Amino acid sequence: MIAVIGLVVGVVAGLVLQPTVPLELQPYLPIAVVAALDALFGGFRAMLDGIFDDRVFLISFLSNVVVAALIVFLGDQLGVGTQLSTAVVVVLGIRIFSNAASIRRHLFKA
Amino acid sequence: MSSRHGDAGDVRRLDASMTLITEFYRRPLDPGYALTAERRAAGLMPPRRRSGVASLVALGLVLGLGTTAAAIALRQPVGQASEARRVLESQITARGDEAAALQSEAVTLSDEISKLQAEVLGSSDDSLRAAMSAGAVEAGSAPVSGPGLRIVLSDAPSTGADTTGRSDQRVLDTDLQVLVNGLWAAGAEAIAINGERLTSMTAIRSAGSAVLVDLVPLSSPYTVEAIGDSVAIQTELARSSTGQLLATLRASYEIGVDTSSVRRLSLPGVGLTALRYAAVPADAQALKSSGAPATVTVSPRASGVAGSAGRAGGNGQ
Repeated sequence: MIAVIGLVVGVVAGLVLQPTVPLELQPYLPIAVVAALDALFGGFRAMLDGIFDDRVFLISFLSNVVVAALIVFLGDQLGVGTQLSTAVVVVLGIRIFSNAASIRRHLFKA
Repeated sequence: MSSRHGDAGDVRRLDASMTLITEFYRRPLDPGYALTAERRAAGLMPPRRRSGVASLVALGLVLGLGTTAAAIALRQPVGQASEARRVLESQITARGDEAAALQSEAVTLSDEISKLQAEVLGSSDDSLRAAMSAGAVEAGSAPVSGPGLRIVLSDAPSTGADTTGRSDQRVLDTDLQVLVNGLWAAGAEAIAINGERLTSMTAIRSAGSAVLVDLVPLSSPYTVEAIGDSVAIQTELARSSTGQLLATLRASYEIGVDTSSVRRLSLPGVGLTALRYAAVPADAQALKSSGAPATVTVSPRASGVAGSAGRAGGNGQ
């Protein structure tokens, strides 16, 4: 749980400090945020399932973001940047969607 | 089926081609969670060391900070774009104001010039002054007012603000050209389109979807105002091919043609005119000892008007 507190502290620090992202990283931001959302939803669902583990959560978070950024980078290098980004968004979107549905079933029993 | 494949277990699943999507729907959760929970239940998880916890916290900090920074940065470009647009807008309005100020200055100066001219000529003969003012009206350099005809051409209602409408349902530069030439031929003394006075040097042409009159972009509706005997002009127009064109525009292209006679129109002058060509009059030449005609050529300007003889040559056809 302490790692989650670290994450929250990081978010608050980001809101307070408003750090600027280097311009070279800008193309990867949208995908990275979607990947982060996916990890967040997955973690929340795991918590409701009672199998949450902060180590798994943080590592899946990190790997999600890194892999998503890598895919965008690869797509840019191959000249199919937007298509690969679309693929990532579709996959992560489906996962977010079904995780959210599972969370809904947990919370509202419906 | 079994006779061909031999083995019943070989039958393809119906959704075999969608395994990727099925996988995501069935197991959206990272399998790592379940694995760790199993290992913990089995007592296989080693106790965490302090350094491991510290690195986890550090990782959490970095990830939270990075994600927040990314989210904030993603909200930024919209602001930057609108900022750039604001700058452009302010530049456009500033330049427009500048142009308007310069234009009004030019009008003031040309007023002053004509006043000074009248003063200088005031002592000399009246016929020269009358010729000068008549020339100024014909050249379009002086503002004029009087009874006249107002014809409003407007694009067909089906044409939108953008390029959605058919281009031939818009008022074209050629329509305005034909109308203006028809008006000149019908005896109009002075013509202006949307307040842009036409002279012998005025070009009516199109640039994209805009019609340029004397390099000023105008848009529908186009108000063509002609000073003259409105009844005579209307009769002449109806008789000429211009009247047929107007009827065709109205009937076939749904272009609005609204004609009305106005008791008092006031058209602006174009202001200063640049002298491009000058010759000593024939009677003055007789006074000169040498027979060579003294002609003066002045550096040309785009909107200059070469005196009163221009109208009949340029537009009166």
